[in-house]
Amino acid sequence: MVNKDTYSHHISQQFNEELDEVKKHLLEMGGQVENQINDAMESLVEANSELAETVMSNDDHINRMEMSIDEECARILARRQPAASDLRLVIAVSKANNDLERIGDETKRIAKLAIQLCENGHSPRGYVEVRHITGLVRDMLHNALDAFARLDVDKALEVARADQAVDMEYATAIRELITFMMEDPRSISRVINVIWALRSLERVGDHARNIAEHVIYLVKGKDVRHVSYEQMERKAKAD
Amino acid sequence: MRISVNSWFKSGTPWVWLNAGAVSISVIMVVGLLGLIAVRGLDHFWPATVIEAELIVQDGSQRTIAGEIVQVEHVSAAQLISSGVDLPDDVEFAKRYLLKVGNRDISGSDFAWALDRHMEKQRYPTELMVLERREWGNFYGYLEAVKKDGDIIATGDEAWLELAGLMERVLSIHDQIYDIEKGEIGTINHGIERLRLRERGLALEGDIPPEDAAEIAAQRSEFDAEYEDIQARLSGLYQSFNRDSLIARTVDGQEIEVNLGKVVRAFQPNQMGLIEKIGFYFAKLWEFVSDDPREANTEGGIFPAIYGTVLMVLLMSVFVTPFGVVAAVYLREYAKQGFLTQTIRIAVNNLAGVPSIVYGVFGLGFFIYFLGDEIDQIFFPAALPAPTFGTPGLLWASLTLALLTVPVVIVATEEGLSRIPRSVREGSLALGATKFETLWRIIIPMSSPAMMTGLILAVARAAGEVAPLMLVGVVKLAPSLPLDANYPFLHLDQKFMHLGFHIYDVGFQSPNVEAARPLVYATALLLVMVIGALNLASVAIRNRLREKYKALEV
Amino acid sequence: MTETTATKTQPAAEPKTHAIDMSALNRDNQKLSLDQEEMCMKVDDLSLFYSEKQALHNIQLEIPKKRVTAFIGPSGCGKSTLLRCFNRMNDLVDGVRTEGQILLDGQNIFDKKVEVADLRRRVGMVFQKPNPFPKSIYENVAYGLRIQGINKKRVLDERVEWALRGAALWDEVKDRLQENALGMSGGQQQRLVIARTIAVEPEVLLLDEPASALDPISTLKIEELIYELKSKFTIVIVTHNMQQAARVSDYTAFMYMGNLVEYGDTDTLFTNPTKKQTEDYITGRYG
Repeated sequence: MVNKDTYSHHISQQFNEELDEVKKHLLEMGGQVENQINDAMESLVEANSELAETVMSNDDHINRMEMSIDEECARILARRQPAASDLRLVIAVSKANNDLERIGDETKRIAKLAIQLCENGHSPRGYVEVRHITGLVRDMLHNALDAFARLDVDKALEVARADQAVDMEYATAIRELITFMMEDPRSISRVINVIWALRSLERVGDHARNIAEHVIYLVKGKDVRHVSYEQMERKAKAD
Repeated sequence: MRISVNSWFKSGTPWVWLNAGAVSISVIMVVGLLGLIAVRGLDHFWPATVIEAELIVQDGSQRTIAGEIVQVEHVSAAQLISSGVDLPDDVEFAKRYLLKVGNRDISGSDFAWALDRHMEKQRYPTELMVLERREWGNFYGYLEAVKKDGDIIATGDEAWLELAGLMERVLSIHDQIYDIEKGEIGTINHGIERLRLRERGLALEGDIPPEDAAEIAAQRSEFDAEYEDIQARLSGLYQSFNRDSLIARTVDGQEIEVNLGKVVRAFQPNQMGLIEKIGFYFAKLWEFVSDDPREANTEGGIFPAIYGTVLMVLLMSVFVTPFGVVAAVYLREYAKQGFLTQTIRIAVNNLAGVPSIVYGVFGLGFFIYFLGDEIDQIFFPAALPAPTFGTPGLLWASLTLALLTVPVVIVATEEGLSRIPRSVREGSLALGATKFETLWRIIIPMSSPAMMTGLILAVARAAGEVAPLMLVGVVKLAPSLPLDANYPFLHLDQKFMHLGFHIYDVGFQSPNVEAARPLVYATALLLVMVIGALNLASVAIRNRLREKYKALEV
Repeated sequence: MTETTATKTQPAAEPKTHAIDMSALNRDNQKLSLDQEEMCMKVDDLSLFYSEKQALHNIQLEIPKKRVTAFIGPSGCGKSTLLRCFNRMNDLVDGVRTEGQILLDGQNIFDKKVEVADLRRRVGMVFQKPNPFPKSIYENVAYGLRIQGINKKRVLDERVEWALRGAALWDEVKDRLQENALGMSGGQQQRLVIARTIAVEPEVLLLDEPASALDPISTLKIEELIYELKSKFTIVIVTHNMQQAARVSDYTAFMYMGNLVEYGDTDTLFTNPTKKQTEDYITGRYG
């Protein structure tokens, strides 16, 4: 089965390095995106518009990283014609790359909301939920990237499971905020912004789950998208 | 200095020079050899001017001689004095000529040595006539008169003019006689001989059935009648052939009468212009390659020898090619490669090194005395005790040479077969062809250039071989050609003439060595040319085949 | 061999969802599976020995009809040897001994009753290096037919044209059929050899690294040709070019050291092989 050493035993040393490199770049990008999530949440909760500006400008950097990783993948496909696990690695990297960029976009959106909220003054409610869900999705992303780095199927499954929890938390938070809006119609516009931010965080969770699915595809060669968690677990554990 | 010599050696330059030198020496030797043969041989046919002089003989008397200068040499005085020639003391070297003086019927020898200083009043009289005769060699002298039916009809200058016309007539009669004797009488003799054999054959089986006896008798009387008729015509021709004669005077005054029937050619070399000489030259050359030999092979042509050589080589090719190819195909394609085949291969290769006379002895012992005798017993009992195949002949000579050259063909063919790429064989086999079909349709055609190479080598070797042939079929003079118009056309049992043997015979067995020497050269040149022509023909065929399959050379 | 064409069971038409025609998508992406194929040849427990050395170890596989099956593996793994068993080309090598059997149409080809020439007529072979005969293009193609005793000009003309068209060579050579085949380019020669082989209408076409001596464009032409030919013939191809195997074949067998390591549909084998040896080989970690 595919394990961590897999990519360092090619006859072509050059090929080893290329695969290592692209994976390293993806993980670097993942680290950046994690920071972005933290910063965005910080800027929102602390109403720090300066930090929000930084987050927004950093997104450019992430976009450029995405493009460069895609280029690397295309180059490997064209020049090395990878097969089997190598092929799956390149495809997984390419897709995870896409997901990370989308996460980046979500953080940018949160930062934008933070700036708006700063202008509109402090939101009365919702920051606790934001903080909580942020913590969850940040861990998810972290674990997904970790699973990617270690080719760890169990950890990937953990991420998928966590996504279910996030979805639940998100539903609860929305319900609460709707109740609050009904109680205090004046805060609607501000609370809606918070809801938008929560929605973005939920999307980040989905992308993290996608990355976890790519990891399973990479390691097991099984396509586990668009199925329930139970089916996914069954497929991933089967040999 | 030492270093530079070293580096010069390392550069390989001396090696190149060594190679080039070896090649040059070989080329020079071959060209020199061919040149020498060509010059000596071809010179013979050129009408040399005839010198006349007063020769001072030892006792001081004088004698007129005339002849062609054949050879010039410088002899040391001491040598001459020791052989009893008087010379002044101040002479160190004397120029000596070898003169072809002819007139063997009068003087007893064709050639004479004479010192230049002893020949006085050297001159080249235009009137001097040379007669090429059917007997006694050349005649040198002056034409006195021409006789017709015993009466003198012309003398002096007129005689020469008259002679030309008479010569023409005589030569045409000679041709007619030749045709009748060789052709018609030969055919009749052949027919009679076959009748005799048939009669004898029938007699051996028991009584001759009367109807057969009658038929044979009828045919025989037919032949006899025909023969009588021809005989009558012949005697008539002979009469008119011998009608004319000429009277000639030698330079020292003897008069002789020569029948024109005995003359082949009469000419006055000192009077001939260049054009005439060239014409004469080519006429002589043509005579050489197209005529029968005369005078114990020292005069005339060598056509039967050329004919025999070529025919024998062709026959040998017919025998050796299939035999060698089949043997090679078996050795290479069918036989299991192992110790035995390797041994056979070595043995075959070594056969090529066995001296050819050994093959001659084998041919004589096995082919002629054993096989030939058996064949005679079984198929030609009627002719016994005269042997048919139990005696040297064309068939045995060809077979012996085929045996001699078969290793060459085997080796070359095997080489060719081994060079056919395996992929081509597999391609054919993969299409469902059997091994034999593959061999027949692909492998053999593709290796045909190699077979031709083998044949070329075989021909080159066989055409030049003499020693074994002396034992198995070559004679110094064969009465008729081995391939002619008489049934069964190709006479495998006949003896034949051969250029190589002809050289040996003319050069070393001839009664008149001096006269024959140029012929040896000319014959040698011709032999080389015949071998060359045979080889060129084979090379041309091979190149055509190669062209066809050239892209396969890997 | 029965002439029934393998009609593949089409999956039941998918219900149309919205505007997307799922059945079309599924047809293009149809998964091949060995279980559903009609088999042409069956290799049953085949072992082969060169003198004392064993070159094939108990090979067990089936070749599906009218599909392209590729044998891949490192040099000396026995893939060519196995291929050459199918038309008994190994008979030509001294000291080769086989055990087990290969069934063609239920008949063991090693049986004494089987005429080798007949077998080779039914199982044609194309070699690594183009090996046209030094004859005209026409005669090259007609060779196998003439061997079978077909000499009628009209029949030969028809079959030669058919074979040359089949090998996608007709348009290039129709005006120079009488020219020597050795004057053609390498790629043309190889297609000529294929034409020569299909002219006798074999059931199985064995290709032993057919493009390894050719330039990339000629290689592509040959691969295209293989794709065309599989509607008429069962094709088995040996190649050391994995990409080529991936491009042309429906099924792929990976061999290593005389053993059949993995055999399955090409898509799976090249994206997600089950055996580590296969994975290592096709990703370039062998050795």
